[in-house]
Amino acid sequence: MDDFQLRSERRPSDGGLPARRAVTHWAWRLFRREWRQQFLILALITVAVAATILGSSVAVNNPPPKDAGFGTAPYSVSFASYSSKAQRFIAKAEHLGTVQVIENATYSIPGSINTYQLRSQNAPGPFGAPILSLVSGHYPSGADEVAVTSGVASAFHLSVGKSWQVGGVTRDVVGIVQNPQSLLDAFALVVPGQVPNPSQVTVLFRVPSSALRALGKGVQISTPASVAASNPLNPETISLAALVLGMLLIALVSIGGFTVLAQRRMRSIGMLESIGATDRHVRLVVSANGTVVGIVGAILGFVVGFAGWLAYRPSFEQSAHHLVGAFALPWLVVLLAMVLAVLAAYFASSRPARAVTKIPIVHALSGRPAPPRQIHRSALPGIVLLVAAFVLLGYSGGTGGGNGSGGAPELLLGLVFLMPGLILLAPFFLSLTERVSRRAPIAARLALRDLARYRARSGSALSAISIGVLISVIVVLAAASRFSNVLDYAGPNLASNQLALHTGFPPQGVILVHRNAKGQLVRVRHHKTETATPAQLAAGAEQIAKGLDAQLLALESPNAYLSGTQGGRSWSGQIYVATPQLLREFGIKASEINPKADVLTSRPGLSGVSGLVMDYGSGNPKRGANQNGNGGSVRDPLIQEVSALPSGTSAPNTIITEYAMKKFHISSDASDWLVFGTQSFTADQISSAQLTASTAQLQVESRNDIPSGSTIINWATLFGIIIALGVLAMSVGLVRSETSSELRTLAATGASSYTRRTLTAVTAGALGFLGALLGVVGGYVAMIGWLRSNSLNGGISALGNVPFGDLSLILFGMPAIAAVVGWLFASREPAVLGRQPIE
Amino acid sequence: MSMLELRQVSKRYGQGANEVDAIADIDLAVERGSLVAIMGPSGSGKSTLLTIAGSLEEPTTGDVMIDGARLSGMSRNDKARLRRRSVGYVFQDFNLLAGLTAVENVSLPLELDGISMKKARAKGMAALEGLGLADRAESFPDQLSGGERQRVAIARAVVGERSLLLADEPSGALDSVNGEAVMRMILAACHGGVAAVVVTHDAKLASWADRVVFLRDGNAVDETLPPPSPEELLNPEVPNPS
Amino acid sequence: MSIRHSLLALLSEGPKYGFQLRQEFEMSTGEVWPLNVGQVYTTLQRLERDGLARSDDVEVDERQKNYRITDEGSEELSHWLRTPPDLSEPPRDELVIKVLVASRLPDVDVYEVIQVHRRYIVQLMQQWTHLKEDESRFDLAFALAVDAELFRLDSVVRWLDAADGRLRRAAYEPAPENPVALPSIHRRTGAHR
Repeated sequence: MDDFQLRSERRPSDGGLPARRAVTHWAWRLFRREWRQQFLILALITVAVAATILGSSVAVNNPPPKDAGFGTAPYSVSFASYSSKAQRFIAKAEHLGTVQVIENATYSIPGSINTYQLRSQNAPGPFGAPILSLVSGHYPSGADEVAVTSGVASAFHLSVGKSWQVGGVTRDVVGIVQNPQSLLDAFALVVPGQVPNPSQVTVLFRVPSSALRALGKGVQISTPASVAASNPLNPETISLAALVLGMLLIALVSIGGFTVLAQRRMRSIGMLESIGATDRHVRLVVSANGTVVGIVGAILGFVVGFAGWLAYRPSFEQSAHHLVGAFALPWLVVLLAMVLAVLAAYFASSRPARAVTKIPIVHALSGRPAPPRQIHRSALPGIVLLVAAFVLLGYSGGTGGGNGSGGAPELLLGLVFLMPGLILLAPFFLSLTERVSRRAPIAARLALRDLARYRARSGSALSAISIGVLISVIVVLAAASRFSNVLDYAGPNLASNQLALHTGFPPQGVILVHRNAKGQLVRVRHHKTETATPAQLAAGAEQIAKGLDAQLLALESPNAYLSGTQGGRSWSGQIYVATPQLLREFGIKASEINPKADVLTSRPGLSGVSGLVMDYGSGNPKRGANQNGNGGSVRDPLIQEVSALPSGTSAPNTIITEYAMKKFHISSDASDWLVFGTQSFTADQISSAQLTASTAQLQVESRNDIPSGSTIINWATLFGIIIALGVLAMSVGLVRSETSSELRTLAATGASSYTRRTLTAVTAGALGFLGALLGVVGGYVAMIGWLRSNSLNGGISALGNVPFGDLSLILFGMPAIAAVVGWLFASREPAVLGRQPIE
Repeated sequence: MSMLELRQVSKRYGQGANEVDAIADIDLAVERGSLVAIMGPSGSGKSTLLTIAGSLEEPTTGDVMIDGARLSGMSRNDKARLRRRSVGYVFQDFNLLAGLTAVENVSLPLELDGISMKKARAKGMAALEGLGLADRAESFPDQLSGGERQRVAIARAVVGERSLLLADEPSGALDSVNGEAVMRMILAACHGGVAAVVVTHDAKLASWADRVVFLRDGNAVDETLPPPSPEELLNPEVPNPS
Repeated sequence: MSIRHSLLALLSEGPKYGFQLRQEFEMSTGEVWPLNVGQVYTTLQRLERDGLARSDDVEVDERQKNYRITDEGSEELSHWLRTPPDLSEPPRDELVIKVLVASRLPDVDVYEVIQVHRRYIVQLMQQWTHLKEDESRFDLAFALAVDAELFRLDSVVRWLDAADGRLRRAAYEPAPENPVALPSIHRRTGAHR
């Protein structure tokens, strides 16, 4: 027998690796047996990791690559022509290292304002692989060969095998090429030396860094890093910040889950201790389970996120206009997301793990509920943190009427303080429920008292709800304060079935290459075209409308403008004349208009703004003095709000009545047109309109993606409610599942399903309401602090515009939904009344 | 040297007016190879006595020695190690970890003590075989009957070198035949050199012991005399105290 | 214990000699109730007299006589097996009387008296249990008989425990009109285990 070996004291006192292995093995078995109970945590982590991976991949890959234009070269220098200076530089650089010269000349595509480059480049050359690749055919190898991009090919109806006269030379098209880093790059590739008078000579080179200084005299050497440095807030940072916040939320939610899990396993853990497991082993059981959940969630999240990325990549490349590798993920962010997910789950489980070792073994073994842990009830630490957050946010904009720039550390720190402040306040808010409960009927009293007594577990749920609500309240309030300013009108510019046409400028400075009388190629600057007459513009607009099968409305710009300042923001937006056609177009009858009104508007609240000034005549810098030369201004013109007018920022949302035009002798001219069809315009329609417009000196403005204030507020509200309900669904289930034995007793004493339903409904409703209240309080603290010093964003007065509807939806609607759902789902009778199942 | 020795052990719960002596001034010594039963009604403090003897609880006063080692002053980790190596517990109804098979449950204390999985498993199998449960080794607790679960628990309590077996109503939830089987196994363990303490209110169980200590209100009030020989018993002239 | 019916039961298996009956009787009851020789033969004579059994030869010694059961005997046996023993009258149990007496005498600690009996009975049970462990593997009948004895003794211990508890309770609430005393017992005896 090796009994003597068993006795050996050489083994570590905590059992070492085999012990940890055994304990982890058990935790893994437990996870497999009970993964359904942990499904919500798992799902949360999976979704968070997947969203982070997909989101950060898109965000990081959306802008052109940092090294766009550099290829693989570390340095680049550009010259405007193949000057002697350029030649000297190239000779010097070639002496010191590797050089690749790319020459470009800009040519115009006939009948279009678009241009393309005639480019010479060693294909692909020492550095050029990332910026030049072959789609089909082969690279040009002689002076009579050319390869073109698909854009050029379609503009000139070219294909491989055809011949094409370019740069005065007839060449065979031998291949289709592309610039993977910029799919919009249109060029015709020829062999070096075939570009006469290049307008840009780019020298890509690699030399020892010691030689760089000597080489750099008199030229501007740029590196990919120097280009990227101009953008300090890169998408990686943003996605990481979002990730950290998300994981904090997940950790908070999971604490409740793991607490309940640890409680459910209390007897098993007591037994493990009686067998001789140390505290470390016990902690390991719970936190190993947490880590397993984290790892499984991280891996699932990665798989889901990566699959999503692969599926989305083709259409993403189209919209980003450059090729993106399948594996061009921000691996650091991906790695961090996975590590953070595991860490979040680990930390969420380590707190209950510690708590479980504090329970006396005898109590744990008997499965008696531990006496509720007294959590510090004082609200003081939470309040201190909230005040600190308030002060920091207050200074984030610089003291007194700052402009909102700078102060990023204060802003960040303030938000960082806000979260623990809310977390610390949660127990205090919960202790309030006990006072409320005293006069409530038995089921409600029981539910509320449980919330107050078991603050350790309900507290984390409450914090998670409140942080979810906080985020949405901040967005709601920020949006409300931002969009509350009727002068600085923000939102979508047009409806999707509208296009605005503005007077454009003739194309300038396009370099065209002509063959002179001697047959030589010469570069000439394109002559500035004549400015189009109003009639020509109107004809162009009509042509566009006809092409779109849409109606056209001429918008007259008056020789007058509105001005005013409120909350640090001044009037923005164009005003137009209320021509009879315009009024008819929008169905506004003359009888609806106050005959004394100067201005009609669809901007809500504009009629209530005082201090608005309407300048006309000479005061208008854009239009110059009117014919009579007698300009003037009107304070507080009579404004009437007409909801029938369009609300888009580029649409005629504010118009001057003909009454005012006559009264103040304001002149006007047609400079803009509104095209509107019966249905949304497609991208093809818009681009064909743009093509027409470019020849007619018009600019086309189509609907942009700027959301309106109410859209933002509604989405933020929805987000807050969904987060809060998700957290609630989980934590209420957890809080009540822990007291399932109590339910058993209740059922045995004859409690009806009404009691059970009330219990769950009250728990959900109370948690929801308290979380919402805490979140709203936190949100207001943050916004007051921030706006106090941030007059550009409206200042504190901007908070006067309370989004009552959305806030009450969060404060009352969400808890009500939670209560109703709790009521509906609490109907199930506990399956086993008598015996507890074997654990 | 006794395997288990309690000297003047008292345990007091609560404070002030609610103060209750669960056990008071208990002296008890259990030798290797002997089976001692602690008998008493509910609330007499017998379970407290067992948890203190097994280092799960601290006595308010008094000393507990297990295999010559004094428990007072030991760290939690040292006590855990002592439990892993010397003390086996058998509870009334809840003994096995649900996620582990019978043999994994049995070898768990060895693994916790740092013995490799393979070796621990072999020892666990040996313990199960010794108790006639080899064919149930790979079953999970919920696939075992109540009697089998208790027997696996005993296997775990005596696996390896463990030499102090503490059982709290080990057959409490079982019928008398299964309860008898459990006691028979405990007795067998004692014959193998284990010191065992069984706490029960059931005289039939207690009668398996070599010595029965009667507990009343936390005090050890009486104990049985050493047993007479079987020959004496078969003699019709059994002395009667009445 | 009815020796009469036990002998009838043995005879129902087939004709047997007197000494054989005695041997089998002792074995069947697991040697728990040792008999003297005379009892068996006296009983056999009575069975013969009552017409429940008969023997073929008259002259020989009782030990050599071959007995067989009669039809009346079979009927009597079958009737007896199905007739419950008379348990309606409580037996005059000495132990009960002793405890009752002790509880009335002011100078006697009734709990101590109870404990003396309890210890004695548990000791007795220990002996039976050990005996059973040693023998029962080979002798099922013996195990069954010992079980019966253990259950009987166990019931006495339980009665002693119950008496202990009842006396104790009575001591704390001497007058039935004072029900407030109850919580205080609870505290002193301690609910902790």
